[in-house]
Amino acid sequence: MIRTIEVLFVIIILSGAFIAVSYFTVLPSPREVSPINLRRLSFTTLQMLDSNYDLSRAAFETDNSTVWGGLQVALSASLPADVIYNLTVYDVNDGEGQLYNYITSISNTESLGVTNDLSTYKVASSNVTFNVTPEKIGEGSNGGTLYILNCSDANGWWITGYTAQSLAQDLYNLLSPYFVNTLMIQNTSQLYQILNGTPIQTETLQNAVIINTFGEAVPIPTTYATLYSSDYAEYPYLLGQKVRSYNWTWASIVGYPLYYVSNTEYFTGSSDHNGWGIFGMKQVSQPGINAFLQGLDSQTYQNSPTGVTSDVGVVTFTNQAIDLFNYYGIYPSSYQTSTRALSNSILQSNNLTIGLNIFNPVGNYNPGTIYNHKSTGSTNITGSLLALGLTRTPDIRVTCVSLLSYYQPRLYASEYTSEGTSRIVILQLGLVGSG
Amino acid sequence: MASAAVDHMISLTIFMAAILIFIGLFSQTMQTGITYELHSALSTKTSDLIDTILLNPGLPVNWSQRDDAIVGFGLQNPDFSQYKLSSLSPTRLTSAQSTVYYPRTGAYYSNNSAGFGSCLLAPLSKSINYSTVSKLLGINGTYGFQFTLSPTITFTIEKASTGAPLKLLINAAGTGHTLANTPLSYSLILVNQDASTYPSYSMVNGVTATDPAGFAELNFPGVDGESQSYALIVYSYLNGLKGMGYYVHELPSLTKAVVPLIDSFQNRTITITHGDSVGQPPQAPSYSILSYNASFVLLTEEYTLRQVALDQSNATGKIFYDTSSGQNYSSVNLPNNDGILIVSYKGTSSGQYGIVLMPWGLSSLGFPLTFGGNPIGQDWVTTDIRQVSVGGISYQAKLELWNLQGYQGVR
Repeated sequence: MIRTIEVLFVIIILSGAFIAVSYFTVLPSPREVSPINLRRLSFTTLQMLDSNYDLSRAAFETDNSTVWGGLQVALSASLPADVIYNLTVYDVNDGEGQLYNYITSISNTESLGVTNDLSTYKVASSNVTFNVTPEKIGEGSNGGTLYILNCSDANGWWITGYTAQSLAQDLYNLLSPYFVNTLMIQNTSQLYQILNGTPIQTETLQNAVIINTFGEAVPIPTTYATLYSSDYAEYPYLLGQKVRSYNWTWASIVGYPLYYVSNTEYFTGSSDHNGWGIFGMKQVSQPGINAFLQGLDSQTYQNSPTGVTSDVGVVTFTNQAIDLFNYYGIYPSSYQTSTRALSNSILQSNNLTIGLNIFNPVGNYNPGTIYNHKSTGSTNITGSLLALGLTRTPDIRVTCVSLLSYYQPRLYASEYTSEGTSRIVILQLGLVGSG
Repeated sequence: MASAAVDHMISLTIFMAAILIFIGLFSQTMQTGITYELHSALSTKTSDLIDTILLNPGLPVNWSQRDDAIVGFGLQNPDFSQYKLSSLSPTRLTSAQSTVYYPRTGAYYSNNSAGFGSCLLAPLSKSINYSTVSKLLGINGTYGFQFTLSPTITFTIEKASTGAPLKLLINAAGTGHTLANTPLSYSLILVNQDASTYPSYSMVNGVTATDPAGFAELNFPGVDGESQSYALIVYSYLNGLKGMGYYVHELPSLTKAVVPLIDSFQNRTITITHGDSVGQPPQAPSYSILSYNASFVLLTEEYTLRQVALDQSNATGKIFYDTSSGQNYSSVNLPNNDGILIVSYKGTSSGQYGIVLMPWGLSSLGFPLTFGGNPIGQDWVTTDIRQVSVGGISYQAKLELWNLQGYQGVR
């Protein structure tokens, strides 16, 4: 009998344990087990409402009933029918005192119930100023000079529709923030000056970038026009030597590089034109680029008429260049046409390596590339050439993207705010009938 | 001695019975708890998975503009961040609707069409199906899902008149409320029913606003709603909430239609076919010819339509269907932008005019998309929603997820 009584005690204890467990194990209702992620729904709703800065505007125009009426309609329309909301705006106090101060709120319910969640979204008024400070190319090292050829005594070719001077001004506006010094070479005398190692001002000659805005033509100082009158290809040869000597980067913005030489003061004869109605220039043809590369590689000069380009048609930017479009905020068309793409045959014979492909190569040809010269057995760069073998007319944004993609100066973003320019919008969502 | 043994047997029996009962009771509590945890985990998985789909562009990132296979799945527009989706990517997904057969090529087409007068038919061979996406998301055989993209604003457009003037009644509603006092811009595309061989169209643009109940009535004097073939495209904008709708009116006298089929996403090639040549089983033997005029329009930032020239000889032409002598078709290439292909056409008899719209990009006409498996009949389905922008139009992305492996002895 006593054992039966003991068992009854055991049953009583187990019953007590079960009752205790059942009492404390409170399972949630089914809608709480796997609810909609209200936090993310709230956040994406706020993002959607601010997609054109309408929410930002409303947050700073709380007295504008039209704006807030529209906001309430948009909010009610965009949320699922079983979702209720409360949207509250707080001012962010940058000074002393309470950090967040209530401004206003709208809601379609008195209570959001048990199942609710919220997201916060910071909005800025139009008074906020954002500023971007670019890193200077060559800052802290020996370099950082950008020369833009803007010679008033030369004509360009394959820049149809533009003048070299207008292109030079646009290049200045776009690129000067990225360089320590940016100088316009105003005439061929100044060009002669830097070619002979004398700075225009106090800039550093070494490691400079020189952009030739004259397209397929290049300005030639009178001294050199006289000196090389029997073979003008010797002038590009000299340029190649100078590029090597000062470790310059020579940028050809369009077409066949160094195809003509131009000096409107010197070439004044009736036959001093390019055959297409542009006077003040002489045709160098294919030997121009070949002589430049010979000079760059310290080879013995030889007038070489070998063609080194090809018409490769429509070309596309490389992914690396495209990735940097957004960073620098420069958006040339993704598709360009290249009729003067340089052949890979120039690489080995001139000790060139590809520093950066701006456009995807087409077969054996490079539509837009920065070439680096490295002497045999050396790893040091001694001169570079940016050759954009695109068809006319030039888009100088391509030149800018090319140089920025190569040097990749960083951008430092900063924000200037003043008191009362930031507000917090909180959207709290709940489910209908959740208690 | 005997009574002690009986006592022992009785107590043991009662004890064993009590133990069994309590094991059952405790097991039930534990099973309920485990089931709760599994459902909760499924909910977390749903939230993770929908963000995985919406917050990465897939691989290659431009897979929406290619015809080949993909190695990573995602719908984000690679040119933007956050919940801004590519308009073209969803059109490469195999629709849950039944496929369409095109006997000329023997190919089947995924049918994302969304109503009368509009087509969005993409070749199955170049579409991404449910099985592939499941594998790419790493849930093949583990979870089943259905992914839905629905325009946040839906337009209901009805003809509210007989004869002239044409009156159209528009109702705009969001998912939770009508769209009251909302600005609308609209374009009425009227097929020019003149003697031209290839029928062009005229466009009437305007702006209006909905009333507090979300209705707006458009009145077009001089347009006969019975004898005129036309299409209406409506655009709304309210505090970041953007929507698009359309309505196509076909003449009852015209029983033939032009059906555009996507041939290549990469080359943006559209095959313009005769409606009789599409579908299975083949239509009854007959002969029919249609003259068409194809054009392309973009939605500008001012919410108007801007026509883009299709500089090809095939932008106009004739297509016929004849079971005895074969089938005719034509091809056009579209520009590299989201927009709407508009094909106006006419039959051989007088008064037979029609118009068909095809969006290039899901949002260009506010089309919805349903992709994946069927949640009906599943044991437990969890749902998550995000507000997204598809090609600038507000959409709601919804993911429904269920466990394919069951609960393995929990129940």
